Amino acid sequence: MARWGMVIDVKRCIACWSCTISCKEEHFLPPNVFWNRVLIGEAGKFPTSRKLIYPVLCNHCADAACVDACPTGATYKREDGIVAVDYDKCVGCRACLISCPYQQRTYYDEEKKNAEYFPGQGKTEYEKIGEKLYPFTCGTVMKCNFCTERIEEGLEKGLTPGTDDEASPACVIACPVGARIFGDLDDSESEISRLIMEKNGKQLHPEFGTEPAVYYID
Amino acid sequence: MKKRNELEKIMFHPTGTDLKPYEWMISATPQQEWIDKKGIFLLLAFFFTEIGAGLYFISLFYQYRTGLILGWLISLILGGGVHVLYLGNPFRAWRMLMKPQTSELSRGMWIIGIFAVAGFVQIVTSNFGPVFNVIMGILSLLIISHGFMTMNVIRALAAWSSTMVIPLSIISGVWIGCQMFQFMLAVSGNQMAQSFEIWSQILLIVYFVCVLLYIWGTYHASETAEKSISLMLKGDLAKYFYGGVVLIGFMLPLLITLKMWDGDINAGLIFLRLALIFAGDIAMRYIIMKSAMYQPLI
Ligand code: SF4
Ligand code: SF4
Repeated sequence: MARWGMVIDVKRCIACWSCTISCKEEHFLPPNVFWNRVLIGEAGKFPTSRKLIYPVLCNHCADAACVDACPTGATYKREDGIVAVDYDKCVGCRACLISCPYQQRTYYDEEKKNAEYFPGQGKTEYEKIGEKLYPFTCGTVMKCNFCTERIEEGLEKGLTPGTDDEASPACVIACPVGARIFGDLDDSESEISRLIMEKNGKQLHPEFGTEPAVYYID
Repeated sequence: MKKRNELEKIMFHPTGTDLKPYEWMISATPQQEWIDKKGIFLLLAFFFTEIGAGLYFISLFYQYRTGLILGWLISLILGGGVHVLYLGNPFRAWRMLMKPQTSELSRGMWIIGIFAVAGFVQIVTSNFGPVFNVIMGILSLLIISHGFMTMNVIRALAAWSSTMVIPLSIISGVWIGCQMFQFMLAVSGNQMAQSFEIWSQILLIVYFVCVLLYIWGTYHASETAEKSISLMLKGDLAKYFYGGVVLIGFMLPLLITLKMWDGDINAGLIFLRLALIFAGDIAMRYIIMKSAMYQPLI
C-alpha cells in the first residue's frame, strides 16, 4: 500500500495562491475556511533578511497529534497515510484542532455554514451546488484530505496519483510552476522520495515528533 | 474603501481580525478554540468539575456526607453539563469513551464515569472503608487535574505543557474544595470550622506559590512559552492577572485570613473569601487558557 506524501519546492513557489483557490473550488470551502494557505514571512535581519514563502496544508502526519487526541476515533489514519475525519463520529470537542501544532483544522459551525461569499446577496448557484456535492456537517472539524476523492477515483481508473492529473490533488495540478510534487513516500523510486533524498527534504517542526508527510525543499 | 475592508474581513480571517491568511502562523499565534466564543464553556466545565471533586476530596477525610453530595453534584451536573454544552454534537458524547488508549479526553471521560458510579454508591451506602476511601480519593484527585491534564498533554502549546500545570490544578481544586467545605461547616455551626482555618492559611500560601512557580517555570520553558507569560504579565491579559489573580484571588483573601488569624472566624468572612477565590481562580484559568500560543510555522 502506498503512503501518500508531498514535496513543496519553496524556491519555485511564487505565492500566486492558485493552490489556495483551487483547493477552495475543489471542496467548495465556505468563506473563512482554508485547507491550503501560502504563508509569507521574513528571516534574518536587514540587510541580510530574506523573504520566506511557504505553502502549508495538513501534513498527514505519520504520528499525528490530532489522531491521538481525538477521543471518538473520528479522526483516524488510513492505510494510505491520509489522516481523515469521519463526520458521522465527530463530537465537535476540538481536541484535534487544539493538538495540531500546524493549526490545519477548522471547526465548521452554523456561522461558517451560513456565510456567503457575497454577503447579504444570498448564496450563489455555485455555493448551493457545493453544499450538495460536498456536504459538511455542522459541529464537526474539517481539514485537507489530500483530495482523497480524486486519488480514489483515479486509482479505480488505473491512474497514478502524482503522475496523472486526474488522480492528483487539486493544488498539485493547479500550481503553475510545479512547486508541488505528490507521490508515494514508501516507493523509493518515486519522484518525491528521490527529491527528499537528493535535496534533503525538511519537515515543519520535526521536534513535535509528528512525522509530517509534507516535505519542503529549496 | 469601507466596502473593501468589509469584504476583507469576511474573506480572510476567521476571527475577523486584521490578520490576513498569509500572515497567519508566521508569528506566535494564540489558541482560540478552547477559550473564545463557546470555548468559555470549557473553562467553566473544567472549573466546576474540579472544584466539585475538590469538595468531595476534602469531605472524604471527614466523612462529611453533605459535602460529598454537593461535590458530586457540582462535579457531574454543573461540570458535566457545561462540558456537554461545549460540544458541537452533544448527542454523540458517549463516543468520547472510545479511545482511552491515546486520548486524554477519553481517559477523563472514563474517570468521570467511574467517579459518578462509585461516588453514588459511597453516598448511598455511606461506605467509608479505607479501601473505598483511597479509591475515591484517587478518583477525586484525577478529576481535579482532568482539565489541566487534558491541556498538559498538548505539546503544541508550550504554556500548557509546563511541569507546574498539574500541581497547580491539584492545589487549586483542593484549595477551593477546602474553602467550600469550611464555609459549609461554618454555616451549619460546626465547631470544626475554626480548627480548619489552619488549612485555609496554609493552602492560600501554597496556591499562590504554585501560581508563581507556574509563571517562573513556563517563562523559562521555551521562547513561545515566554511570550505567553509576557502576554500575561505585560500584555492584554495583565489586567486579569494583577486584578483577578493577584488582587482578588490572593491579596484580598489574605487580608480576610489575617483578620481571622486569632481564631475569630465567621461565616460571612469565609463566604466573602470563598467568593473572592472563586473569581481569582477563574481569572487564573482564563489567562492560562487564553495566553497559550502556537509556535510560528516558518
Ligand atoms: S498536520 Fe495537524 S491535522 Fe494534519 S495530520 Fe498533522 S497533526 Fe493532524
Ligand atoms: S472534534 Fe471530532 S475529530 Fe476532532 S477530536 Fe473531537 S471528535 Fe475527534
